[in-house]
Amino acid sequence: MIYLDNAATSMLKPHSVAKAVADAINNMASPGRGGHIPAMRAAETVYNCRAEAAELFNVNSAEQIVFTVNATHGLNIAISSMVKRGDKVVISGFEHNSVTRPLAAAGANIVVAGRCLFDNATLLDDFAKKIKGSKLVVCTHVSNVFGYILPVNEISKLCREESVPLIIDASQSAGLLPINFDSLCADFVAMPGHKGLLGPQGTGILICREVPAPLMHGGSGSDSISQKMPEYLPDRLEAGTLNTAGIAGLLEGIRYVRKRGIENIIDHERKLMKLMVSQLSASNYKLFVGRETMQSGVLSLLPENRDCEALAQRLAAKGICVRSGLHCAPTAHISAGTIESGTVRFSFSPFISPAQIMEVCRVLKHLDIKN
Amino acid sequence: MTQYLIMCRSLTYAQSSARLLERSGITVNVVKAPQTLSSGGCTYALALQKKFDLAVNTLKKNKMISGKMFERSDSGEYIEVKP
Repeated sequence: MIYLDNAATSMLKPHSVAKAVADAINNMASPGRGGHIPAMRAAETVYNCRAEAAELFNVNSAEQIVFTVNATHGLNIAISSMVKRGDKVVISGFEHNSVTRPLAAAGANIVVAGRCLFDNATLLDDFAKKIKGSKLVVCTHVSNVFGYILPVNEISKLCREESVPLIIDASQSAGLLPINFDSLCADFVAMPGHKGLLGPQGTGILICREVPAPLMHGGSGSDSISQKMPEYLPDRLEAGTLNTAGIAGLLEGIRYVRKRGIENIIDHERKLMKLMVSQLSASNYKLFVGRETMQSGVLSLLPENRDCEALAQRLAAKGICVRSGLHCAPTAHISAGTIESGTVRFSFSPFISPAQIMEVCRVLKHLDIKN
Repeated sequence: MTQYLIMCRSLTYAQSSARLLERSGITVNVVKAPQTLSSGGCTYALALQKKFDLAVNTLKKNKMISGKMFERSDSGEYIEVKP
């Protein structure tokens, strides 16, 4: 099997991740509740994960690292805390439903800026025009469909100039691209634990500069007499029992990423991308490719005269795992003109080899000829 | 042996404070605070036996003092201290 659906979830993990999850299930209790050994062991593990994440993303305090169940959860917390009905909210033309649906549910007046794929200048011009008078900007760091790396630092600068808060969706960039929370100046950065950070599903992180309103209310192990959630992080946003086993696995995922190095990981994936593009350049597939520095390890393609899902099924039958369709991101497909067809998406990981990419290309060429 | 408790607003805050003190060469334990000292309900505290003044000064310097401080008497009673 060749697994190229890492933009959905990174199924291939370091061995230490599963080991840590099993150890936590067998030996750890609930953090922040008891004072006994299994509870304190869990507390130590959870804190270590906060501290590792704070180091990786240059966050001042471990308290600003809030554990969520996924990126969508974090985005819902941030958006629901900041948006009132009728507020003008500017988003990029490459957002996922995890951004657009919470905004729609909050009754936001959504304004889309930057519809041109791999065109930063046009995108920034559009943002500069539309950001005025808005209450919030929500922007993905990397398109989950096309791997387009959006110029989030420049967008952040525009936000600061207009005193507009900013939420970044780092679902496709955390663990793959450098994210410096301190210099990025975003109010919130939401990310999953189970993609580039190589942790288990059911884990996510919301990095907070502000203290938002909680989305869930319940036990926090602190200020128990009060019937309101604590005013401080992370307790304010972490009602109920934490996913200690998942967080233990996430800790090992983050440790792997830090040890291997973000720059080495993106360099590896860009080499795979270059190889795949060069192998398929003479085929009938339409490839969505930007300049090297503008694209992460995600490649979308369109087969000629064939349904995307049919191609994905043919690949699956040959043991190649990809994702086809709209990838929960209709906004991005409208921007790229692929809303009718969808695309077939190949997303790489640190554990994919050039030989595997060659094999995928061989199969794709074969299917292209048969077409 | 004298034991001091520095109350913290949360477990994570206690852990951050403990890491800071450990980096300064001060050994502390994060413990569940006695219920009678926890004005808001449950909370955690830093427990230490030595270098109490240095610990307090280090926390103050890093703006990480959040709660009251106590010394345990020979009878086991906790008495609030204000260094």
